[in-house]
Amino acid sequence: MRRKDDFVMRDVGGENLLVPLGKQVMDMNAIITLNATSGYIWTLLEQDRSIDELTAAVVERFEVDPACARVDIEKFIDEISNLGLLL
Amino acid sequence: MPALPDDYSPLMTELQSRAAKQRQPVNGTFELTKRCNLACRMCYVRHDASDKAQRSWELSAHDWLALAREAMDKGMVFLLLTGGEVFLRPDFFEIYEPLSRMGLVLTLFTNGTLITEPIAARLAQAPPSRTEITLYGATTATYEAVTGVLGSFARCCAGIEALIKYRVPLGLKTTITRQNVGELETMRQMAHDWGLPFSASWLLSRRNDGAPSGVIECRLPALECISLEATDQASAIELSEVALRDPAIHNDENFYCLAGKAAFVINPAGEMNVCLDLSSPAAKVLELGFADAWAKAQAFVDNAPQPTPTCLACKARAYCPRCPAWSLLETGTLTDPVPYLCEIAAARRERYAQGSFSKDVIDE
Repeated sequence: MRRKDDFVMRDVGGENLLVPLGKQVMDMNAIITLNATSGYIWTLLEQDRSIDELTAAVVERFEVDPACARVDIEKFIDEISNLGLLL
Repeated sequence: MPALPDDYSPLMTELQSRAAKQRQPVNGTFELTKRCNLACRMCYVRHDASDKAQRSWELSAHDWLALAREAMDKGMVFLLLTGGEVFLRPDFFEIYEPLSRMGLVLTLFTNGTLITEPIAARLAQAPPSRTEITLYGATTATYEAVTGVLGSFARCCAGIEALIKYRVPLGLKTTITRQNVGELETMRQMAHDWGLPFSASWLLSRRNDGAPSGVIECRLPALECISLEATDQASAIELSEVALRDPAIHNDENFYCLAGKAAFVINPAGEMNVCLDLSSPAAKVLELGFADAWAKAQAFVDNAPQPTPTCLACKARAYCPRCPAWSLLETGTLTDPVPYLCEIAAARRERYAQGSFSKDVIDE
């Protein structure tokens, strides 16, 4: 899976904010903040990634249990998919 | 999955507070022009649409985009485009469309009278997160008594309907004067019928260039402001910002807002100030570079004198909307009390102490 190109991640006071571009503003006129882990996943999703690849990358980057990481990643992917942020 | 919230105010307040602690210039305002096609007597800024001198000072689209890139590099995320009337600029979309692709949360202020269907359709290709149109009355007679321009009411309504048709996110607001105060509830109903959010403000300030305006004749008397606040619960901008400030945590800073801490304004000539009502430090951004201009803006705020002992000791201070901009516009100093606002603050305190306007009303 891969993220859409019409969202940009910006930093506001140390928090990651997803800013919609173009016509996405009409469909997603909301404020979405990402914590450090989800912000990292968002950067990885610039390219096509599987859940396994994301899990491996997160486990390598952060001190997390792989099983917990996978559950959280799946939940995050589910949320951003429902929001229409993925291709 | 939980539904998205309708109101992002608490989140935005928290984010901007964090940005202010880091002195990140997250909130930018680009004042594209001071010229306007309307002639509202109480306006703090307007110059005539055909004013050649003003037009000659206005930055080009190329320069605005260069400023935007520099500002973004230093942390600008939220950008307001305002005037005057922004659609007087024939190059508006040369400025706007590249901005819409940069990763900014854009807001647009306009009087709506120049918004045609083609303009609305073009704006809809990449709409601002929020467009706000100011409604000056609910009828042709009243609206045009305020704006001084025949036909402006119909054009404003047409602009609103064009934006609605093309689903551009839109909010309405009004600037209340003695001329249109009787139509506040009708304007609120109009917004409701259009399905649009609505807010009202009525603390009118003088012109920021010191030139005369009709503001004194247009301002509501202080007690009438208080009466309006009692009937306009959640939509009174002044009330939500200042009236319920907790006296116990009120600090002694003169600049208590985001100006010069997380917010800046660049005027049509490319000078950075800390708010739209102040003409200092007028740092020339294209000459100095954004970082140095922002440093000057911060220094202006950091070096500002404290409020006067009179203000610091005032029992109504928690209810008072005075700020350095108000003081400068009314008294010529950044600190002196503003009699009009002293009246309002005292009346608010008296009202709350009597319990005739409780916090419960605001919390509804």
